[in-house]
Amino acid sequence: MKRKFLGIALSLSVTLGFISPFSLAQQPGKPIINPPPTAKDWTNLAKLPDWSGVWNPKITDQDKQAKTNMPPWTPQANELIQFQLAEEKAGRPPPLFVNCLPEAMPSWMLITHNAMEVLFTPGRVTMLGESDGNRLRRIYTDGRTHPEDPDPTFHGHSIGKWEGDTLVVDTVGIMPQSLIAISEAAGVPNNGDMQIIERIHLVGKNELHDDIEVIAPKVLTKPWKTTRIYFRQRARKFDIVEGVCLEGYFAPGKDKYGNDTFIPVQHDVGGNRIPPQ
Amino acid sequence: MNLNLKKIVVNATFLVGALSALSAFAHHSTTMFDKDKISTITGVVKEVQWTNPHVAIFVDGTVKGSDTPALWLMEMTSPGNLARAGGWTLNAVKAGDKVVVDFNPLRNGSKGGALKKITLVDTGKFYTADIRAQESANLEEKEQK
Repeated sequence: MKRKFLGIALSLSVTLGFISPFSLAQQPGKPIINPPPTAKDWTNLAKLPDWSGVWNPKITDQDKQAKTNMPPWTPQANELIQFQLAEEKAGRPPPLFVNCLPEAMPSWMLITHNAMEVLFTPGRVTMLGESDGNRLRRIYTDGRTHPEDPDPTFHGHSIGKWEGDTLVVDTVGIMPQSLIAISEAAGVPNNGDMQIIERIHLVGKNELHDDIEVIAPKVLTKPWKTTRIYFRQRARKFDIVEGVCLEGYFAPGKDKYGNDTFIPVQHDVGGNRIPPQ
Repeated sequence: MNLNLKKIVVNATFLVGALSALSAFAHHSTTMFDKDKISTITGVVKEVQWTNPHVAIFVDGTVKGSDTPALWLMEMTSPGNLARAGGWTLNAVKAGDKVVVDFNPLRNGSKGGALKKITLVDTGKFYTADIRAQESANLEEKEQK
């Protein structure tokens, strides 16, 4: 009798398109709706610090920190880093990012050579990068918590809160393959369970600092702290432009019908076009 | 300018040159290029590929010290970085332009290099490609002063 009732209940659920008993057990209650922003929500954005403009990274400081602020690697991770550094020095830089997958977190904050912009909308801070692997971060500032079991993504699940003029961001759910990179040629996959805490704030009028703490127990012996610096540009000629990483692996050409098309160009293992022979 | 000051300026210029030789591209290191060596090619631009993450310029010409003309490939950083760091635009350098290019050649001897400076012969106008030459805020305002 009991089994028969369960069978009927399950059939009914499927027939009526109800959520499965499995997900019912995981997420009881009503679905969470993101409410439409109010006029006050939009007005409140004006109280936030001004992060408008284009922000380009201080690359020389990245270079310096690669030498002076090495993450506390586990012995195994350090072995890989030392190999990569030796290869780079020998003129064979490991091609960590030439596959054009996103640089991902935390590397795009750590080693990017390209600019970004930051947008504020009610309940959200959005970071948009220029060039390279489709960089985009959504930081939820609407008070939500992380999902209990987030699907890993390149940039993870980020929640933020404002502490005065500082945006404090907590990020989890990052793909284990995402690199903790100290340069474009040296980095180690985080291997899972990574958490990143950032405190992003202005220093003076036109410098944005990202104080980053990387907690990656699989490859670091303790949390690693570093700061990355960005300069503000307001000239319109420096507005962010579309930058599709894979574009460089093609050249404009014509197909057999005379249509404009992209023709793949040959690349070497380091990501450079093959020079004329 | 007294001699000592001149010496300092010359050394500083060399240092800046040496530092800029460390310039990297958008998404990979550049140690495949020999940063200790600067070659110069004089010729004509055959093609410009204004693409992310790396812009490329093909130059048909003769490398200083050689008497054999050939087609060479010059790699650079991204369009956005070239605009900020070197004042480039899409049409700054076009096919058909007569140019002189200073570059760090590939270590493996192939006909490729990392462009450091390109000068348009007809106008004398030049562009550089040092990705680190954009490390202050409001670059445009400073240029206008």
